[in-house]
Parts: sequence; structure tokens; C-alpha cells
Amino acid sequence: MDRQKFIEQSTLLSIGGLLLPSAFVTSCRKMTLFEEVNYDGKVLIIGAGAAGLYAGYILKSKGINFQIIEAATNYGGRLGKLTGFANFPIDLGAQWLHGKNSVVGDLITKSNTQITLDDGLEKYWFNNHLVDKVPQNTKIFEGDNLPDISYKDYALLKGLGNEYKYIIENIAGDQGAAASRLSVYGNNKDEENWSSGAEDFKFQETYFDFIDKQIAIHVKDKIQLNTVVKQIDYSQSTIKVTDSNNKIYTADKVIITVPITILKSGDIEFIPALPTEKITAFSKIGMGAGMKVFLKFSNKFFDQNIIGGAICAAYADDSIGKAQNDNVLLAFVMGQQAEYLTALGSDAAITTALIQELDLMYNGQASASFIASHVQNWTTNPFVKGAYSYSTVGMGDARNVATQPINKQLYFAGEAMNINGHHQTVHGAVETGYREVINILNDLSK
Amino acid sequence: MKKLLLFNSLLLIFSCSWAQEYKIDVSYMYLYSDQWDKAIHTYNFSRPFFTEKQPLLMNGLTTSISYIFKNKKHVKHGVNFAYAYFPSSAGNDNFNNKLNLHFVNLGYILHYEKAETCKGLYSELLVSATSSIVYRNVNGEPFVYDEKKSKAFGIGGELHLKVGYYYKLKNKIYLSPFIAVAYTPILYAPNHEAVINQTKGLTSNNWTGIISTQIGITFHIRQQKND
Repeated sequence: MDRQKFIEQSTLLSIGGLLLPSAFVTSCRKMTLFEEVNYDGKVLIIGAGAAGLYAGYILKSKGINFQIIEAATNYGGRLGKLTGFANFPIDLGAQWLHGKNSVVGDLITKSNTQITLDDGLEKYWFNNHLVDKVPQNTKIFEGDNLPDISYKDYALLKGLGNEYKYIIENIAGDQGAAASRLSVYGNNKDEENWSSGAEDFKFQETYFDFIDKQIAIHVKDKIQLNTVVKQIDYSQSTIKVTDSNNKIYTADKVIITVPITILKSGDIEFIPALPTEKITAFSKIGMGAGMKVFLKFSNKFFDQNIIGGAICAAYADDSIGKAQNDNVLLAFVMGQQAEYLTALGSDAAITTALIQELDLMYNGQASASFIASHVQNWTTNPFVKGAYSYSTVGMGDARNVATQPINKQLYFAGEAMNINGHHQTVHGAVETGYREVINILNDLSK
Repeated sequence: MKKLLLFNSLLLIFSCSWAQEYKIDVSYMYLYSDQWDKAIHTYNFSRPFFTEKQPLLMNGLTTSISYIFKNKKHVKHGVNFAYAYFPSSAGNDNFNNKLNLHFVNLGYILHYEKAETCKGLYSELLVSATSSIVYRNVNGEPFVYDEKKSKAFGIGGELHLKVGYYYKLKNKIYLSPFIAVAYTPILYAPNHEAVINQTKGLTSNNWTGIISTQIGITFHIRQQKND
């Protein structure tokens, strides 16, 4: 063979030699994590909120045996639905989809679920007047090199006086916190990680309906309600979970999705006790009081959003995005305001306090057209004890520490365990649900 | 318009007088990126409601144009501009998800050819600056949130080794099949996971390394005879 032919044939051989391995490697490269799962152990999920339900959905898709136990009388966690109060269904818990760029957003598109952008105009209660905007820019909590101090202190530092107190409470309340407890630095870091979008959407039905129809439906047969976990014994390879009736459930892995308040309060005993750094991390994650009060009126005298009330810093027209339009105003009460209203002791007293404030804003029109109210106080719910988590002053990397699995046995999910900036949200909880299944399968493959 | 045409013609004549060779190539490219694979793996894993899984970003097409400067040595040098496109599409009920990954490279070529010993064979080393963009279409429309298209940019470099063999078609026009391998460190791509898997920090870093192989064909206009 002369050199010319040799080179030509070598070239062709090289080309073939590249094509064949490429085709082979293409066919070998897997499409998803853990394509083949051969695990005959059992996973127990504690809590049937969004995280627990989604973890179950993923486990089911992988053919893994699991069970979900839930303390409350219904699944959904901090999602809930009230019918009969108005001519549209009411979201008792989470009701806004915070951005479409998430796994939940994909499922909404896929399922043709009807959502509406909630971009209502805001009025401010400022110096005892309803105004379209306040004199000073209140977007001071964004940027670089912000200090790890509270919103309240930072607002004072920036010259926002007492007249801005409840405007700032609303900004912090949006994060589920009192302005005196939410960290400017920590919350800004959370915002930097946020990737799902800034637009808020409302469901034409409810968020609960969506989760029920699209996620819970796949795992309903695996949910056991009214089961309050009191003890988790992970001293052996088989984990024993004991409920308040002393019934014991065994599992090889446990995904704990209960609210951070339940972990902080010690309602669940761990044997052996959790590591000190874990307990410290739990204690640093904030979760304040929160309630939603629905006020039904005969007239729509109110604006779409009213910001800055001393009793409630954020009112919102609850009919926005719904198919019907009864005159229902939502009082979204967070932090110290929720603590104050809770301390009043009764739903009637809470309603009266809110109506009095609205009367002040709207010259007595609230009491004149008031029909009924419904108070959903998440703080007094013994299985929730608050609204949702937030970043406290001095929190550091507590959320990361809190999230770490223990002994390849205990895994932590739920909105408070989201480290991507999506805590406080349903889609953030969903992310932790599938993340912990990935962690379990990763541990199994090691 | 006439002035523009005249200017371009003069520029072409002028550049031809300095050029050893013009090249245009088209090729198939096979790509492997650990981080982007992880993001798609997680996307597929986390969405059991999709029956059709999202394919990995691995099969694409690329094209490039090169300009080799006139030089009587075995080693010549030149410049190269390349473009590559990698689609990934999955069709599900009410949800057709398509990822589009584009690369643009601008680089410097070292072209080696020794007709005395290996007639027709050439090799090239290419060092490039690379930029990438990945964006998402859902149901045929750009995926928009917050009134902006979902997209992520990346920047990095590329080291590219190519071997080809000339076949003469007619005077000054040659055709060469070639194979190539490349390593492309995308040093900064902070939002790709937010585009691919709609979250951040679960699976991926802000950078990724890409290994790719190419097979294709080049059309050459050469000023000097090669045979």
C-alpha cells in the first residue's frame, strides 16, 4: 500500500472510529437520575404537606415502598380550602404562585390549570390617609453589602421614621416575619438565589385544589391522617416512629417534612438526640405568627391592596383571579401583628379589631357593609404553629446545616429546608421533596 | 450601496492577496457536559408527570469559517469564527419543552501541513474564546417569566484539535473530511440550572467543562496547489 492510500484509508478509519463510539456513547448516556432503582426498603414520610406529597409522588414513580403519616385531619399542610363562605373557593393557606419558573409552574402549564397574574394596584395607609404612594423610596432593602441587622433597624438607619413603621412591617410580613426579626442581609441573600420569577399568580380554584388534583391524587392511598408523631428512634438500622397512640411504624429511611416550629419546639423526641449543631440550626431559622382573616362585605368599598395598617399591614381583594366576585377582603396578618391579634383570644375580637381599622380607612363603610368573617389562624394550629420560615439576624448557614441528612437515615424537607432561596413557598417545598429522594438514592448507591 | 459593494470587493481582493486559504466547514458535534447533564437528569427525575424525558444536550451541528494567512512555512496561522447549535426537545401532553443551546467561538488557528511527507494531511490547533446561550421554548413559544425570556449566558474558552485530509475538487477548490476533539471550559454560566431545571444550586455549579468531538467536512479555497 502506498503512502497516499494508507493516509486515505487511515482518514476514513478515523472518521468511522469516531462515529461509532459517539453513537454508542449516545445510546449509553442515561436520561435521568437513577434510571433503575432496586430498593426493597421502606421510606416513611412524616407530614403530608407539599414536600411530603411530592416526595411520595417521586418515590412512587421509582417504585419505592413508602407511607405518609400526617398529624392533621387532612393532607395539604399549610394549604387549605374553604367553600361556602363566598361564591368562589377560598385559599386558607398558601394562595400565590410566586413565579412560573419552577417545577410547579411546569405542572400548571401541563395540567392547563387556570392562573391569573395578580398585579393589583396598591394604596398606602400613611399618616392616617390613603395615598397612592409614600414620599420616600422603601426599596432600600436590596443591594450589595447590606448589614446583618433587622429591617426595622435598617429602616431607621436609612431615615424612614415611625410613619413608615407599618409599611416596613408589610415588607417584612411578606416574608412571614416581623420587621424587628427579619435580617436585611439574610433576606437579600435569599433574593439573590431566587430564580422562579417575581410575578405572583392566583389560582382560579385554589392552590390546594391544584396540589390535590395534580400531586396528592397519586399518593392518597399511602396517606394516613390523624397520626401525630411523638418519637423517632433511629438508634438501629430499622427506624421506629411512634405516634401519640403509641403505635409504632418502622422504616429504613424517614423524610421529615414537619414545619420548623415543630422541630424547634421539641414536639418530636429523637433517639438518640439530634446533634447539637442541628438543634442550634433549627433554633436560628425564624418562623413567625401568621393568620388570614377573610372579611365578607355587601359592597366593594375597598381598594385592591391596602398597605400599612397598624392592625394589619396588608389587605387584599380576595376575589382577584377568581371566576366569581363576592366582596371578600383578605387581611394577611403576619409577625407581631398576628401575635397581637392572636392574643385578643377570639375570632370575634380579631374581626372587630380589623373592621375598626377598615372603618378608620374608609369612613365607617366596613362596619356598615360587613356580612361575615372567617379566621384562619395558623399560629394556633398545633401542627403548624406559625406562617412560614424566614432568615433571622445572625442566622448564617443554619438552613444548610438544618438540611443535612443524619446517618443516612433521617432526611429533612419542607419549605424551611429549601436552601435555594425558595423557602416560604409551595414550589420551594416541592423542590425539597424531590431533593431528599435524590439524597436517599445517592446514599443507597454509595 | 455602490460604495459599499466597491469597498467590500476591494476588501476581498486585498484579503485574498494575503490569504493562503479560506475554509468553510460543517460538522456534526457530540457534546458532553457533566453539569448540564446533571441539570437535565434532575429535570427528568423531578417531573414524573412527563412521560417523554428531556434528551440531553449532546447532538448538535456546527459551522465555522476560517482564514489562514499566507506563509511558506509548514506552520501557518489564521483566525476562525464558529457557531454551534444543540437542541433538546421533548413532547408531552400540553407541554413541548425545547432547550436551545448555542455557542459562538472566535479563535486563533495554528495550521500544520507538510506536503513532502504526508501529502494532503493537515492538523490544526485552535484556541478560542467561547460564549454560550441556552434558552427554553415551551409549546413553541419562548418561555417568558417576569416579562423576560428565560435564558442563560456563559463565557469561557476552547482548545480544539482537528485533523483532516484534502481532496482536490478542481483548481484551488478542495474538500476535506475531518475529525476534531475539543475541551471547552465554560468558566461562568450562573443561570443555566435556572433555565434547564428551573431552580438554582440543587445540582450544578456556575461553571462547567465540556468535552466534544466533531466530524465534518470542509470546503477550502487555497491559493497554492496542494498536489
